[in-house]
Amino acid sequence: MSLDTRTTQIGTAPVNTPRVTSPHPAYKKRMRLADSLQILCVASVAIVVAIFLADGGAAKFGTAADAFTSLGIVAGLIGTDLLLVMLVLAARLPPIDRAFGHDQAMAVHQSLGKPALYLILGHAALLITGYALAENVNVVAETWNMFTTLPDMPLAFLGLGLMIGIVITSLVVVRRKFRYEAWHAVHLLAYLSVLVAIPHQLSVGGLLSEGAIARYYWLALYAMVASSIIVFRFLLPVTRSLRHRLVVDRVDAVAPGVVSITLTGRKLDKLRATSGQFFVWRFWADGLWWQAHPFSLSSAPSERGLRITVRGLGDASQQLPQLKRGTRVSFEGPYGLFTENARTSPRVVLIAAGIGVAPIRSLLETVSFAPGNATVLIRSHSLGDTYLVDELTDLCRVRGVELRIIAGKRPSGVSTWLPADAVRDGISLRTIVPELESSDIYICGPRPWTDAVVRDARSGGIPKKQIHYERFDG
Amino acid sequence: MRARAVALATLASVSIVGIGWQLGTQAIDASQSLTASSGGTAIAATVTATTDAAAQAAVTARAAADAAAAAQAAATAATAAAASAAQAAAESGTFTGAVVQTQFGNMQVSVTVANGAIIEVTPLQLTNRGGRSVDISNQAAPILRSEVLAAQSAKVQNISGATYTSEGYLRSLQSALDTAGF
Amino acid sequence: MPTVGGDYEWMPALTFATMGTVVSLRLEDADAVDLVETVFHRWDEQFSLYREDSELSRIARGDIRLTEASQSLRACYALALHWCERTQGVFTPHRADGVIDLSGVVKALAIAEAGAALTARGSANWSINAGGDVLVSGDAGHPEWSVGIVDPSDRGELIASVPLRHPLRAVATSGSAERGEHIWTALNGDPSPFRQVSVFAADIVTADVLATAIVAGGETTLNEMTERFAIDVLAVRLDGQLLATPGLRRTV
Repeated sequence: MSLDTRTTQIGTAPVNTPRVTSPHPAYKKRMRLADSLQILCVASVAIVVAIFLADGGAAKFGTAADAFTSLGIVAGLIGTDLLLVMLVLAARLPPIDRAFGHDQAMAVHQSLGKPALYLILGHAALLITGYALAENVNVVAETWNMFTTLPDMPLAFLGLGLMIGIVITSLVVVRRKFRYEAWHAVHLLAYLSVLVAIPHQLSVGGLLSEGAIARYYWLALYAMVASSIIVFRFLLPVTRSLRHRLVVDRVDAVAPGVVSITLTGRKLDKLRATSGQFFVWRFWADGLWWQAHPFSLSSAPSERGLRITVRGLGDASQQLPQLKRGTRVSFEGPYGLFTENARTSPRVVLIAAGIGVAPIRSLLETVSFAPGNATVLIRSHSLGDTYLVDELTDLCRVRGVELRIIAGKRPSGVSTWLPADAVRDGISLRTIVPELESSDIYICGPRPWTDAVVRDARSGGIPKKQIHYERFDG
Repeated sequence: MRARAVALATLASVSIVGIGWQLGTQAIDASQSLTASSGGTAIAATVTATTDAAAQAAVTARAAADAAAAAQAAATAATAAAASAAQAAAESGTFTGAVVQTQFGNMQVSVTVANGAIIEVTPLQLTNRGGRSVDISNQAAPILRSEVLAAQSAKVQNISGATYTSEGYLRSLQSALDTAGF
Repeated sequence: MPTVGGDYEWMPALTFATMGTVVSLRLEDADAVDLVETVFHRWDEQFSLYREDSELSRIARGDIRLTEASQSLRACYALALHWCERTQGVFTPHRADGVIDLSGVVKALAIAEAGAALTARGSANWSINAGGDVLVSGDAGHPEWSVGIVDPSDRGELIASVPLRHPLRAVATSGSAERGEHIWTALNGDPSPFRQVSVFAADIVTADVLATAIVAGGETTLNEMTERFAIDVLAVRLDGQLLATPGLRRTV
């Protein structure tokens, strides 16, 4: 292990480190919001069950046919409710982003995918079985009956088929075989699959028949989900892009293939972006405009401009170093909870690998801490292949932060974020940063590396709420 | 999820589901009760209800049985109303039953009585539960025997029954009709 | 007890026995009764299996072959086979022992022919009831003909009275009770789920054949026939429960 500990701390006299254990005020506020959202989400499931029960559903389990039908109805209600929750999670609602961050929201979104699909599949299977039993025909005949005689059923079956396809393409294995854009396009079909399922819910679903209060609740639910998607995924990004008129101001080479891009525009303070957040950028240049990329801010945003530091990653983003001054940029964002808002503790440890240094660099500028209460760890193969290290060194000097660059190859066959010799010597995050318990740990790097750091921190006894990370692929 | 959130979410969910359950129970209870839409009256109660004339294909015996039960309940309640309003006896009135849930839809009937006799049972609604389409068909669906019995006094000139023999003819209603015709 | 329509008291019932049953007629012109009787007797002579000397009995015994049978018998057999096809074999002009039995259509054909003869004679208001198969004719302004449907569990009572009006001016009722083997069951030996089935149709042959077929074929046949033909049906299940098509519910 090559350890480059730069003398960035002001003075060496140990500052009386505050042993503050009370939660950071931002944490309390955030968790109140998170609690409310989670309760709302669970309650929405309870409400659909209540709708079923309010209709006298509890009395409808007398015969096998009734039981199948009733279970099928409940499965459909809960499954659809979860689908709507998934859509809301993916709609980039500001409160959700503030409470959980984009990453965690998407993780929940993904984890709901399979349960929702199973419930919807169960809904179809149970109802077909229930109806078949009631009419004393086989399930194939009943499926055909439903398909041909019930209103809006062909559409509903189409939705079911689409949904199965979406979940399959979303499975990680398959996802890697597709281009991101193709996978994303398939994923957009999710909206279609949810839409085509609506008519049969209203025409076939007795619970939601005309005049029922449940029908209006259901329609209101859809209306809210649809409007949040339209507003926050489409209208808001478009109006923001038009309003702030971002253009490329300068492109500075940082290293081969890595550039810092500075953007200017109007009224950038109104964006309310903060250090550590990311935007989904679209550069309106030849060969680039059709792709959108999530890149984190690499310096604190100001009304004068925004800066990102990016590395070309094998696709069109390789052309980013050739961007011309004045190129129009549209964007979605800012997103993410890799910010001061996630704080819980008085001390800060910032850990980065590769291009993950970008959000760490911006955080370092604005995160609050007393001098001496922050550490920056940069992990690289060799001391030379780090990005923005001069800027980091300067910032650390100014703010009284210890900066350590840990270089060296990882051992093969062992899952660790540290070099081979460090592992051999029993070095861990805790031995590098003794004050870990009273620290918020921000980690940004490639996915497997980040996961290794998180495991190290967790095994050091650090609670989840103090660990914040942002991962990228490749 | 924090423990506090779990606790609150559980509490909220239990309350919501509990309210749903309560409403469901009330809906079932309500089907046992009745409201009189006109003043008190007297009833002798052989009552019937009917599924809608346009009733759907899949209405089975069970739906009709449910409806019958509903109407029976209607009659029972109406009798109770009569007891409490004895001074208004022998008036005519129309009673509207509560909405009754059946496997195939919500059903509601109104019963018209005059001088202690039921003269009309009108289906008010039959919504389409379970999705069986109502417009497919000319399919035969269950009806209640008493519904057609009401038409018994209508004047008929012919009787149709399962084929009767020439010997059976003398005992048949047709024979009575033919004789009465002279 | 049903009462006779007062409006028809000027049109008294005339009866005669034929085909093992009794035909009841109501005619404006009492002289026409001979015409109707002639038609019925001719059909009976030719097609009754109860008469040893009928053409059909001779075919059943093998005295003559079907190819040697009369044109009218072959036409009648063809019609029965046509109905056999239209009902997917539920209605059949053969007894279980293979003998040709046209009784399922003969009575109806006789009623139809008698009705046509009355109409041809210029008579507009009449009803023919042959053993419960009823065909009526009435011109506008004439009081409506109504038919009562017998309650199979109490043959002295009615379960319905139904006006016979254009276009459904014929009704036939089949049952699984009276005349025991009258209907060969198509339900693999299972008893019919219906005690009685009444079919209202535009012509008496359709009404008669489909009533027979529905008793024999059960609920499946009932549903198929109500879908495919312009008929109304009132069926009585074994447990006494009634099934009716929407058209009947409106008229009842």
